[in-house]
Amino acid sequence: MTSGPARAEPSPAPSTDARYLDVAGVTKRFGATVVLKDLSIAVEQAEFVSLLGPSGCGKTTLLRLIAGLLTAELGTISVGGRDLTRVAAHRRNIGVVFQNYALFPHLTVAENVAFGLKAQRTSKPEIEQRVHEALGLVRMQSFADRSVASLSGGQQQRIAVARAIVVKPTLLLLDEPFSALDRKLRETMQIEMRHLLRNLGITSIFVTHDQDEALVMSDRIAVMSEGRIEHLGSPSEVYSRPRTLYVMEFVGQSTRVAGRVAGGSQGNLSIDTPLGRLSAPGGFAAGAAVVAGVRPEAILLGEGPEAEFNNLRANLSDVVFFGSKTTLIFAGAGPGDRILVEIARLPQSLRPGQEVAIRWRIDDTMVFPAP
Amino acid sequence: MSTFAIDTRRHPAAVRERRTWFDAKALLALPGLAFMTLAFALPVILLVSESFVGPDGLTLDGYRKVLADDYYVGIVGNSIKLALITTGTTLLLGYPAAFALARARGRLQVILFALIFLPLTVSIIVKTFGISIMMGRNGIINWLLVNLGFIERPIRLVFTEFNLYFGMVNVFLPFMILPLYSVMRMLDQRLTDAAASLGAGPVYTFAHVTLPLTMPGVIAGVSLVFSISVAAYVTPSLLIGDRFMTMSQVMAKAYLNIRDFQLGASMAVVLLTIATAIVLAASYLARAPGQSGR
Repeated sequence: MTSGPARAEPSPAPSTDARYLDVAGVTKRFGATVVLKDLSIAVEQAEFVSLLGPSGCGKTTLLRLIAGLLTAELGTISVGGRDLTRVAAHRRNIGVVFQNYALFPHLTVAENVAFGLKAQRTSKPEIEQRVHEALGLVRMQSFADRSVASLSGGQQQRIAVARAIVVKPTLLLLDEPFSALDRKLRETMQIEMRHLLRNLGITSIFVTHDQDEALVMSDRIAVMSEGRIEHLGSPSEVYSRPRTLYVMEFVGQSTRVAGRVAGGSQGNLSIDTPLGRLSAPGGFAAGAAVVAGVRPEAILLGEGPEAEFNNLRANLSDVVFFGSKTTLIFAGAGPGDRILVEIARLPQSLRPGQEVAIRWRIDDTMVFPAP
Repeated sequence: MSTFAIDTRRHPAAVRERRTWFDAKALLALPGLAFMTLAFALPVILLVSESFVGPDGLTLDGYRKVLADDYYVGIVGNSIKLALITTGTTLLLGYPAAFALARARGRLQVILFALIFLPLTVSIIVKTFGISIMMGRNGIINWLLVNLGFIERPIRLVFTEFNLYFGMVNVFLPFMILPLYSVMRMLDQRLTDAAASLGAGPVYTFAHVTLPLTMPGVIAGVSLVFSISVAAYVTPSLLIGDRFMTMSQVMAKAYLNIRDFQLGASMAVVLLTIATAIVLAASYLARAPGQSGR
C-alpha cells in the first residue's frame, strides 16, 4: 500500500497540542434564533472528535464556522495557535468532506482530487504524484480518469476524502459523510476512514446524528443539544458516565426510573421509586426529584446480594430478538419510565406477562435531577 | 437542491436498457410536427426556391447582390454587429442578475422575478416609444445630463446607434436571464463551499466551477438572444429607422416597397443561415463537455 510521502504534516509543532483546535466562546445567530450559545471546545492534535446531536442542535453550524463558511458574532477560532476567526475560508487550509460529497460534476476523478493543488498553484509533476498517492490511499487509483457521475456512493465518498486530504489540511471536517450510504457499506467505510485518518494523523472533526457511528469512530465525543455541548468525553465516558439525563438518553439505550431521594450520605443515596427502593452513588439532598438510569447490558436476571445490587421485580411486557442479543422490555410505573435489559440468550421459561427478578450493581446506577 | 448528486445515483445502465429503437411516446410530437411542417417548413422551402428565381428564370443574382454588393454586405454586417452588441451586453448584465435571482429566497425572489419579467408583458412598441420619449431633447436623460453638468445643451439621442443598443438590450435582457437562471438554480451551492475549503479563492472558483457549470445556460442564452436579435425588425425600425439598415428592414422593403422578391428571399435565406449556424454551433458546444467527460 502507498503510504509515507502522502502523510499529512498537519502542524509545524512537534509535540501534541492539547488546544490544537481552540473554539472559544462562539455565539452564532440566524436572525432571532441563537444557534450556538457561548460554545467552547478544544481538540488535541491528531484527535478524532465527533459532534453528536439531533438535527438542529447546531453541530453543522459549528462545523461551518470552523471551516470559515459562516462567521460567528462572538468568540474566536484558532488552529495550531493561528487565529482564524477573521480569515476567509479559502485561506484557512481546513479540509471539508461534505454530506453529499460535493464533487465537481464537470471534472474527472483525478481532476477533482487535483482541484485544490491546482488552485494553490502546485507544480504539475507534484500534482500528478500527490493525486496518484491520494487515490492510492483510498484505493481508487484505477478510477482516475472516470467521470464522478459514474461512481457509486461509496466510491464518491472515497474521492471526496482523497480530494480533502491531498492538500494536507491542518484540520479535516466531515459533515455526516456516511449518511447516504447503506448500512453494510457505512460500517465498512467507518472503519476504513478511521484507520486512514488515524494513520495520517489528521486532526478530524466529525459531525453525526448517529450515536453508534460516533462511538465506533471517535477518540472523544461532544454530545450537543440546543447549541451547547452537554458532555465532551471519550466514548466510554459518555456512554457509562453521561453528565446529563439528555446525554444518557441520546447515547445508547437505557433504563429510566423516576423517583425521589429518601436519604443517604457520603455519596450513597437511597431513592424511592414506584418499583421499590434503589441505592445509588451520587450527592442529592433528601426529597429531590431524580431520575435513575441504567444501561441495558448492566442489568442481570435473578437476585443478588443487597450490599452490591439493586434487586427489583418487574413485569416482562415484551421480548425483542436482535440475533446476537435479545432485549427484554419491562413496563415502568411512571410516565417515561421503562426498563430495558439486554441478554445474550433468552431463557426458555421467560414469557411476556411474567414477573421477573432483575438486578444491577449499585455502582452502575446513574442519577440525574428530574427534568 | 443537489441535482448533480441525484444524477449520480441514477444508474445509467438501467435507463439505457429501456430505450428501444422506437418509443410510442414520440407520437405525441406528431400534431406539433404537422403544424410546424405546414406553418414553417413549407414557407421556408418556398422562400428558398424563390431566392433562385429572377425575372428571367433561374439565377443566382439574388445572392450575388446580397453577398457581393458592398451596400448589402454592410447591412449583413450591421445585423451581425447589432446582434453581437445586444448579446454581449445582455450577457454581461444578465449573468449576475440571473445569479442573484437563483440565490434569492422568499419575497426578495418574487420581487426580483417581477422586476425582470414584468417588462415582457409590455408590448415592444410601447417600450420602444417610451425609450424614444426618454431619449428626446426634452427627455429625462438630456435633462439629467444637463443638470449634472456633463453637457451644456441637450444632445441628440433619438435615432442614434446608442439609442438602438439601449432599446435592444432592454427588450432582450429577459431572454438572456431566463435560460441562465434555470441553470443556476440547479447549481449546488456546496460546490463553491468545497472549492473554498480546498483553497480556491472567489475568482478561481468562478472560473473553474461556477462558469463551467453554468456554461449550458450561457450557451442557451447567447444562441437565443443572438438568433432573435439578428432578425429583430420592430425595435431597430422604431429606434433608428433607415439610418441603420438591418437585414430584416431590407427584407421588409424588398417585399413591401420595391417588390424585389428575389432580393428579399435571398436576404432571408442568408439571415436564416446565420441564425441556424449559431443555434447549431451552440447546441454542439453545449453537448461537447458531456461527451468528453466519459
